[in-house]
Amino acid sequence: MALVALITAYLIRHYLFTLTALYHKKETPPSSSNKTVYEPKVSVMIPAHNEEQVIERILQRMTELTYPKEKLEVIVIDDASTDKTGEKAKLFAKNYSFIHVVHRDPAYGGRGKPEALNRGLKHVSGEIIYCFDADYYPQRDIIEKLTACFIDPKVGAVQGRVTVLNEPHSLVTRLVALERTGGYRVDQFARNELGLITQFGGTVGGFRRSLIEQLRGWDPDMLAEDTDLTFRIYLAGFKIKYVNDADCYEEAVENWRSYWRQRSRWAKGHMQCAFRHIWPVIWSKNLRLREKVDGFLLLNIYFVPLFAVLAWILGAALFLLQPLGWMNLLWMAVPISFYSSVGNFAPFFEVGIGAYLDGRNRICWLIPLLLLTFMLNILICTKALIDLCFSKITGKKRHKWTKTVHNGNGSHYIK
Amino acid sequence: MGGLVASKEDRVDHLRMRPNFFHMAVGSVLVTVIIFLHFQLIPTFDLPALVAIGFFNLLFVFLLFPLEGPLLRKTVLLIGGNTVGVLWYLIQLSFKEAFLVLNTDAFKIIVLIAKPLIDFVWIVAVWSLSLSVLASYRIKMERLEKS
Repeated sequence: MALVALITAYLIRHYLFTLTALYHKKETPPSSSNKTVYEPKVSVMIPAHNEEQVIERILQRMTELTYPKEKLEVIVIDDASTDKTGEKAKLFAKNYSFIHVVHRDPAYGGRGKPEALNRGLKHVSGEIIYCFDADYYPQRDIIEKLTACFIDPKVGAVQGRVTVLNEPHSLVTRLVALERTGGYRVDQFARNELGLITQFGGTVGGFRRSLIEQLRGWDPDMLAEDTDLTFRIYLAGFKIKYVNDADCYEEAVENWRSYWRQRSRWAKGHMQCAFRHIWPVIWSKNLRLREKVDGFLLLNIYFVPLFAVLAWILGAALFLLQPLGWMNLLWMAVPISFYSSVGNFAPFFEVGIGAYLDGRNRICWLIPLLLLTFMLNILICTKALIDLCFSKITGKKRHKWTKTVHNGNGSHYIK
Repeated sequence: MGGLVASKEDRVDHLRMRPNFFHMAVGSVLVTVIIFLHFQLIPTFDLPALVAIGFFNLLFVFLLFPLEGPLLRKTVLLIGGNTVGVLWYLIQLSFKEAFLVLNTDAFKIIVLIAKPLIDFVWIVAVWSLSLSVLASYRIKMERLEKS
């Protein structure tokens, strides 16, 4: 029954988000680039490990940003690349005085994004720090749109929207695009509007330098350093704002193998965060009740596919025990648990509404295929949990950072 | 390289909508009538079938009827969806009857586990197709307004 209650809570949450994205009306934070008067010095950090295929694209874009260049600083952290990433970044640094390159020695570097960001943090001078992954391609006025939120002193961090650049490339990229639509256009948007836990996605976002220094940077042991930072920011008493019209394109994974690797890292990292932050979130005095509830559900989100498996197993067990009289009541819970596990259509409708709000009619046709990613995520999350438990038993603290390979195919879709 | 990315359908600026409560009310009445008809016309209609059909209709009323679009179009989509649902149920029923000779617990468990997946196929597919119809309408109307 507890399982059914928990899954039902997720179901309600999904529908609440969907309806909020559709109908909720609330004053949005100032986001018009033309009205921005708050223009502090900002630093953009771009961690890059073997990103020669995409590094020029984002650096070119940095030169096209509309934010005043005298108040902009771009730090490329060449994280022990063995390809031409460093050389290409250096060329840009030569031509543009606001671009700087920090090289990391192979003896110390290449061990993941959090370490690279911590290194970059030592070189930044901006009041606000933004992070962009090397495969991203932001709007020209994205910095203005995001920076406007920092007028509010309670805002510690800000998050923009991620959209898939190479969407037409394959079925995987199309499905990832759908997931992103639901995740940002509905989930993040609704969380922001409802005053819940808006997630910092680790890229296309920024934070106050004073705050990140107070939090002592990123934890290199965490595989989902963004989720970890999200909760540390909220626990420190700050908020994260989401700006839907601050768009940035990403190069999504293009095949199932890359999808598996990327999601495995996310699942493991998210579970690490759940184990670390669940109690601090529950007992925190800086969080309101609704934030605690949402924080709890958000931290456990990667366990949901496991709950689905559990619901199946329990369903089968209950079926076998059905003749027992007192079990009849529980038997009634079976269809409910089914309909709130795999039958939990809510995430799919959430994605559908996201696509509808974006006016993406044709992509709606692919929604049923999201069942594939759902099934795959059951395997990914199960394996992630087993791996984490195994690491606990063996006392292994550090997990290998599996880098997502970007081959620059997204450039074909830029006019 | 400096241009904007525009190789996909243009995104429509989001204007927060007001739910169409009148359409929702009409939808609720229609759903009640449809479910009543299901029970009248199909005597074998059981609880799991009712859950699936009921779930579909509930979603349709709450997540499709309030959206922008003509009532007639929504009604046609609702009736179409229910027809697919009934056909789907009849196919399942025929399989069930065909395998009744097996009548093993193992087979029943397979049915039990596979049922939400099987229902997912038609519910989500019909709903997403209907949504795309309404999205097309919305785009068309916005383009007309702009021009």
